[in-house]
Amino acid sequence: MKQNLIDLLSGEFKTYPVILQGSLSPTEAYPESFFTIWNTETADWSHYDNGTVGFVWRFTVAFFSVDPTLVNTVLASARYLLIQHGWLVDGVGEDTPTDEISHTGRSLDVIYLERFQPIIN
Amino acid sequence: MAKAKERKTLRLDTSGMEELIRKMDKIGMDVKPLVEKALTEAGAKISNDTLAALSDQFLPAQGKYHGSRRETEESVIMYPQVTWEGSVAWIPVGFDFSKPGAGGYLISGTPKMQPDKELNRMYKGKRYMKGIQDDMYKVLEDAYADELLK
Repeated sequence: MKQNLIDLLSGEFKTYPVILQGSLSPTEAYPESFFTIWNTETADWSHYDNGTVGFVWRFTVAFFSVDPTLVNTVLASARYLLIQHGWLVDGVGEDTPTDEISHTGRSLDVIYLERFQPIIN
Repeated sequence: MAKAKERKTLRLDTSGMEELIRKMDKIGMDVKPLVEKALTEAGAKISNDTLAALSDQFLPAQGKYHGSRRETEESVIMYPQVTWEGSVAWIPVGFDFSKPGAGGYLISGTPKMQPDKELNRMYKGKRYMKGIQDDMYKVLEDAYADELLK
């Protein structure tokens, strides 16, 4: 699902890199505008016949930019995109810390309920 | 590091327990001290777990940048006071953002710093807080069951 999320965001927002939260080195410059993702938690969600048939994936998706208007509009668009593709989105986002005073950021908590054939434990 | 001017304090509350609390009240139990006890115990566990999550092994870069003044530890909310809003009680948990060194950014991380994995799990995940709330519910449920058996 992590790759699914990256592909979804990259496919729609082609000019904005999608990177792992915390993956920029201390000396590396921020891109002008970009996404970060972080997989907070993955847990068994559904069981059948003594087997796991679903996982719940929790991610934080954040968008950072030198343009504060873009931070609001792009994240709102990302929210809509994810909902259209079956993701559950908790709220409409919140401000998130940045390392660089030039950028502001907002983040969303998103969830995907993945179903599959039983895996017998 | 850029920070928002105001950060919302995280809170633990009794949402979802209103029905049980109503039942307890209906049979004449003194609900308020029991609810406050459950919240206070839960708050103590969260405070201790938050402090433990600030040990170097969980911090970004294994605590390489962990200051000797321990400002972040001092910003952890300890012994929170219970507040009632109607039939819902709550306590603040996590970091007191009015204090310097409050580590909200450790929960979410930044593009140049991964989150503290334990703090991220506790405050951004669902399993930890659900476990806390299940424990709280059990405290109240056990008290209710004991009262019914009297």
